[in-house]
Amino acid sequence: MSDVTFDPLDALVQLQDVDCLLKELRDPEMASQEEKLGFSIEGISGLERARERLASQVDGRLLQTYERMSQRFFRVIVPIDGRVCSGCRINLPTSSLGRNSEGASYDLCENCGRILYRR
Amino acid sequence: MSPVTIAPPRSKPLLWQHLQQALFISELKSKRKSSALEEMVSVLATGEVTRHPEGVLDAVRRREALGSTALGKGIAVPHARSTLVTERAIVVARSSKGIDFESPDGLPSNLFFMIVAPPLERDPVYLNLLAEIVRSVRLAKTRQRLLEATNFVALRRILAEASHE
Repeated sequence: MSDVTFDPLDALVQLQDVDCLLKELRDPEMASQEEKLGFSIEGISGLERARERLASQVDGRLLQTYERMSQRFFRVIVPIDGRVCSGCRINLPTSSLGRNSEGASYDLCENCGRILYRR
Repeated sequence: MSPVTIAPPRSKPLLWQHLQQALFISELKSKRKSSALEEMVSVLATGEVTRHPEGVLDAVRRREALGSTALGKGIAVPHARSTLVTERAIVVARSSKGIDFESPDGLPSNLFFMIVAPPLERDPVYLNLLAEIVRSVRLAKTRQRLLEATNFVALRRILAEASHE
């Protein structure tokens, strides 16, 4: 696994992927299905450390938004698909497709509040 | 003239539906696990599955760090979900010499099916695909035929037949 330092939004994307994997591994049904197929899954402590490392690279406010929203949504950070939020499938107004007021290259969906990124 | 028997149409297996020529590597250049994963992920970028292969590679390596995805008998199925992929995709790759993938039987892996998918809360297809691959390659004769297939079309046909066996 690389120890690359990410751009804050890239780090958040990676953080979400780690969280997704952690959710799968903590889901007894999902984890047991993988093991039944013959895949070995050992401890998750390394994954938890990777999560901490990635979280430390995300802007505090952005991380707070992510943690809060992850109580509601499985995926908090979602790509813009054309001009559509791929979380709620609502057409985004043109004004949402630029940089936000803080100059970062992300914005929040005006409908569902998810964090948007361009893939 | 004897009557023509038309075989009933078979539904296309899930695995078959996900196979793409652009995501087939007939012979991996890599000799080691780490670079083989990199080589397989790189074709996802050319196949427009992702614009961020390095991020997808991190997701694949993270899963691999939890335990090797080699199943033994020359088969490995690296897999990961990543926010950075646009759609479910499978890279099929072969290595005639084999690569040490930390397989449970200690044998090198020759046949690789890398599955990537976006993270979705409910995606039974992802697990079904893993199961279908495991089922399709359980016979030694199928594995041998897959290694000997001369091109992508032949390989896809063998997998389609195997999934109906």
